[in-house]
Amino acid sequence: MASIHLENVDLEFRVGAERHDTLNSVLAHRFGLRRRRVPRTVNALQNVSLSIRAGERVGLIGHNGAGKSTLLKVMAGIYPPQRGRVAVEGHVCPLFEFVTGFEMEATGWENIRTRALLLGMMPKEIERKLESIAAFSNLGEFLDIPVRHYSSGMYIRLAFATSTAVDPQILLLDEVMAAGDAAFIESARDRMNDLMERASLVVFATHSLDVLPRFCERTILLRKGRVVADGPTEEVVRLYTEGQPVTEPTLANAELARAGSPR
Amino acid sequence: MSEQLQTTFRDVLRSVRLWHIWVRLGFLDLRMRFRRSAVGPGWIFVNLAVLVVAIGFIYANLLGQDPRDFIPYLTIGLILWNYLTNSIVEGGSAFVNCEGYIKQIGLPIYVYLLRAFVSVGLTTLITMCAFVIVALYYRLPITTGTLFALPGLAMITTTSLLLITIFAHLNTRFRDIAHMAQVLLQVLFYVTPVIFPADLLLRRRPNLAYVVQLNPMYHLIEVVRRPLLTGAPADWHSYAAASVILIVLGVGATMVIAVFQRRIVFAL
Repeated sequence: MASIHLENVDLEFRVGAERHDTLNSVLAHRFGLRRRRVPRTVNALQNVSLSIRAGERVGLIGHNGAGKSTLLKVMAGIYPPQRGRVAVEGHVCPLFEFVTGFEMEATGWENIRTRALLLGMMPKEIERKLESIAAFSNLGEFLDIPVRHYSSGMYIRLAFATSTAVDPQILLLDEVMAAGDAAFIESARDRMNDLMERASLVVFATHSLDVLPRFCERTILLRKGRVVADGPTEEVVRLYTEGQPVTEPTLANAELARAGSPR
Repeated sequence: MSEQLQTTFRDVLRSVRLWHIWVRLGFLDLRMRFRRSAVGPGWIFVNLAVLVVAIGFIYANLLGQDPRDFIPYLTIGLILWNYLTNSIVEGGSAFVNCEGYIKQIGLPIYVYLLRAFVSVGLTTLITMCAFVIVALYYRLPITTGTLFALPGLAMITTTSLLLITIFAHLNTRFRDIAHMAQVLLQVLFYVTPVIFPADLLLRRRPNLAYVVQLNPMYHLIEVVRRPLLTGAPADWHSYAAASVILIVLGVGATMVIAVFQRRIVFAL
């Protein structure tokens, strides 16, 4: 049974240029040749606890920088938390930003195969689905040339076509419908629906609040790395759009707000 | 063992079982490197051949060596030296080169080490063809004794994997380590019996024997080179030294995995 379970998860990033990233700089610091710069810590996720069971479709919303992508990556096993527990059961298929993860010198076909392999498809399954992936990407002859010649829209079509051909148990989506031309978005929508239906469990991070209620019955609102609301989609969305509250909204506040407004 | 550590070692096993992924990625890596070159993977081969011809004939004369012995010696020495050096220097960028995949797709990261292992190993195999040609040309004896090279190959191959593991972690955390290692290896090259035969040094300056005996690269190369050239096993010192090196590297690789675990992703 697919499931995702997070308990008191903290995730911190120690930021950039302040870190020692060469042995030279560690030695220089040790011998007093360079002043120690204090590394900054970004608390990307703070005390996040949640449980998602098979059959659920959960939305993930919040402002930019709230921690949506980070939370998805923790679920995918990409970032290990500094504190807390992460327990994920089932094969995870992450659909994150498509810009990286291409072999530039390889052809479109080779990239399809590579990406599909990495996403957990077995070689036989890949060969079976190759034609339909290629057909959906609509790249035609461009598949025969190295992808370093592709435009950004073409990358997205290639990655999207491949990634949506997997049979996922757990599907983690990060704002993937944002890019692409109108015709692509239309065809992508159907393919996405199809994919989401095949999955046992979906977590979908998005800014498109209008599509959210259609896909997800439950939504989690993140703010500054904390879960501030976790409940039925319509209410959480309302909380998000209506509030710029002075105090941190909590689930209790949401209850109060609901009790106060006319139904 | 803590739960985290258990997960990490399970990840290592999971990675090994995903061989259908890392073997293919390794082959792809090799094909990609030569996609834009005229000769293709044959370039590795040509590179070595040119080196052997240039160094071979000049140094054979310089050192008073018979080319029939020296050229094969030089060829296999260079191949094995490059195998070890590539494991360190290219192995060092095993994670860095796959940063896109690591941050997008939740595969256990050790598949990328195994990918590098395949890639470096294949490169070496291609250059071995040059040695086969040299061996045939100079009519090197092929006896049952040549099979002694097999345990040697097993040792050097394992060394390659362990070096890749160690340097991939270290170089991801401290990005100058692979470069530093490359510089040190360049120096080590000149004192390692690859472009000169060990016994030449040992005969002329017996008191410099330690330069050879304390050189780990020498022993790792000898356990493969000696059987291939002479059909006899290498000195027992070399097998002993290679075993010690394997144990040390094995401990090193385990330590490096246990210390960084999945947190290596934060260094990318």
